[in-house]
Amino acid sequence: MLLTGAQIIMECLLEQKVDTVFGYPGGAVLNIYDALYEYRDRINHIRTAHEQGAAHAADGYARSTGKAGVCIATSGPGATNLVTGIATAYMDSVPVVAITGNVNVDLLGLDSFQEVDITGITMPVTKHNFLVKHIEDLADTLRQAFQIAQSGRPGPVLVDIPKDVTAKKYEYQKKEPLPFFPVPYPKDEYLQRAAELLNGSKRPFLYLGGGVVASGADKEAAAFAEKLDAPVSASLMAQGAFDAHDSRFMGMLGMHGTKTSAEAIKNCDLFVAVGTRFSDRVLCNAGLFARHCQILQIDIDAAEFNKNIDVDLRLEGDARQVLKTLLSLFPQKDHAQWMAKIHAWQKEYPLTQTAKEGVLPKDVLETLDRLTDSDAILTTEVGQHQMWTAQFYKFRRPRQFLTSGGLGTMGYGLGAAMGAQIANPQKRVINVAGDGGLHMNCNELATAAHYHLPVVELLFNNSVLGMVRQWQKLFYDSRFSQTTLDTNTDFCKLAEAFGVKAYRIRTKEEIEPVLRKALALHAPVLVDCWIDKDVNVLPMVPAGASVEDPMLEM
Amino acid sequence: MYDDKTEKEYVLSILARNNPGVLLRISGLFSRRCYNILSIVACQTEDTDYSRILIVVSGDDRIIRQVDKQVSKLVDVEEVTVLQRDKAVIREHLLMKVNRTPQISEKLVELANVFRANILDVEPDSMILELTGDAATINSFIELAQPYGVLKILRTGAMAMQK
Repeated sequence: MLLTGAQIIMECLLEQKVDTVFGYPGGAVLNIYDALYEYRDRINHIRTAHEQGAAHAADGYARSTGKAGVCIATSGPGATNLVTGIATAYMDSVPVVAITGNVNVDLLGLDSFQEVDITGITMPVTKHNFLVKHIEDLADTLRQAFQIAQSGRPGPVLVDIPKDVTAKKYEYQKKEPLPFFPVPYPKDEYLQRAAELLNGSKRPFLYLGGGVVASGADKEAAAFAEKLDAPVSASLMAQGAFDAHDSRFMGMLGMHGTKTSAEAIKNCDLFVAVGTRFSDRVLCNAGLFARHCQILQIDIDAAEFNKNIDVDLRLEGDARQVLKTLLSLFPQKDHAQWMAKIHAWQKEYPLTQTAKEGVLPKDVLETLDRLTDSDAILTTEVGQHQMWTAQFYKFRRPRQFLTSGGLGTMGYGLGAAMGAQIANPQKRVINVAGDGGLHMNCNELATAAHYHLPVVELLFNNSVLGMVRQWQKLFYDSRFSQTTLDTNTDFCKLAEAFGVKAYRIRTKEEIEPVLRKALALHAPVLVDCWIDKDVNVLPMVPAGASVEDPMLEM
Repeated sequence: MYDDKTEKEYVLSILARNNPGVLLRISGLFSRRCYNILSIVACQTEDTDYSRILIVVSGDDRIIRQVDKQVSKLVDVEEVTVLQRDKAVIREHLLMKVNRTPQISEKLVELANVFRANILDVEPDSMILELTGDAATINSFIELAQPYGVLKILRTGAMAMQK
């Protein structure tokens, strides 16, 4: 049938079973928005307050479901406002398809009004991008965009479409989504060698990364830990990939990892890393990482082998498939002594927190964990509250903790929470924020209110940029350059101005009743929780030190 | 298992789909990952849907492996080969304009003959010479022409083909 380019875009979204898109209208996407009006019974469009919010919402939608998230923005500033969101998705390997309008094809390259070379700008932060100059290429390009975004190691793809291409008409025929690209699989010889390593290890350490979530390998990972009789640690990206209630779980490893993880890596003889890229935040001093053990790395992306650290054996493949195979290649192991050591460290070094005054974030998060039965989806901004959330909320399953790990994007959480809430209407979604991050993108409270999204904005308000302040305390002689906010923003009033209910927690006694009240609302709500300026994130591995030697107090 | 940490020059032969911006995608990847491009040559292949891009890059074994894998991940890239110098033919092309006076004209012709360089153009006060060869030959040709007054040099990067 003969359709306009804009209608073809809608049909291609439907081919991919896209039910929701996030975006913001503008001149170059007028035709697309006209088609969205026509297709409004089949495609739900969420208009955010700012395009960045739309990109983060698409990201939150994708992270919480595993399906590609879609965002739409107009040319020029609309497109550039997506960039931080796209880069966030890129660093954390999240499948997002971003559709941008552009000026007419004959106006491209002439510095036309609201023209920007968005494919040039986003080249370093997308898995791939396209500029569609001919309507005959439009449908297949969009199909390819979804294929690329979701195949192998996922990532964002941008499709830039000039306005006249969305107006032209062309023959459209429905097609099935393209199959994902085939994934690599390790050679038998390597699998055998891995089996020997696993079988021979006396003190194994299983370390899970975001790839376990992306591949849906959580059940295999749990079975693997059981069979190998190993303790488990997870990167920030993999919180929830292993049930935090399980006694094998040691928490995070790295800059803010637990002392148990640090002791375990110091004493293990085999470090099994699954779906992880050994970020500098995990390695700390790369030269001093995992010095006393062998490393077996499983990853779908060959470029992640020997990038930041040399490994002894690498298995290139999908985490789920490889773990499944490995499970059949070694017998049930018993490392009772090693596990007893782990449990002793867990007992000796629990995560603690102290403050001079005010409410402890730990108490708030543990209460939240209890009240939501460890089942809520949590998003965060970036900084201290992000680490506390990872430390004190006991995630049960993957896709429950959405956070900007690689790029570290302040302002990510609220948009992501909205995307996650729309994709998971039955789940409680809570964005844990600091006052710095909330100041950045509080505009999206308007969106949450407008669409009646029952997102809880849990604000840890200390009037400082706490994580940077913590570094200034440690390394800059407490010269608090520009990290004391003291804006005196009344966040409750701010929320109310957007039509969002708000409550305040100032004492320990208020924590539970206020959280209960906020959760019972089932409407967008902000909880302004006053905390001390000098609660630190601990343990902490200072710059240059070994991951084995975290500071436990400061 | 690793390796040789000494910096060496490698020739990468990249076969890529001839889509707009493909050269930018490849060269951009080199710059943002801090790999050093020493020279780059790009042209269409016998199949006009594809381009062949030859990049001389310097680094140790580890860097080269990273370059190979990162470039291979680009959607438009079909194939990456790290050419081994002893198993490949590697050539560069030189155009050189030199100062010419009646006194030195003969010497320049002699030099061109020794290197089997072509004389493409002769003007009253200058001449243009052309030479194809490996980097060392071209370097010494330029060096020997230097005393006569080299006015301008144009030199391609390495073209290379596996034997």
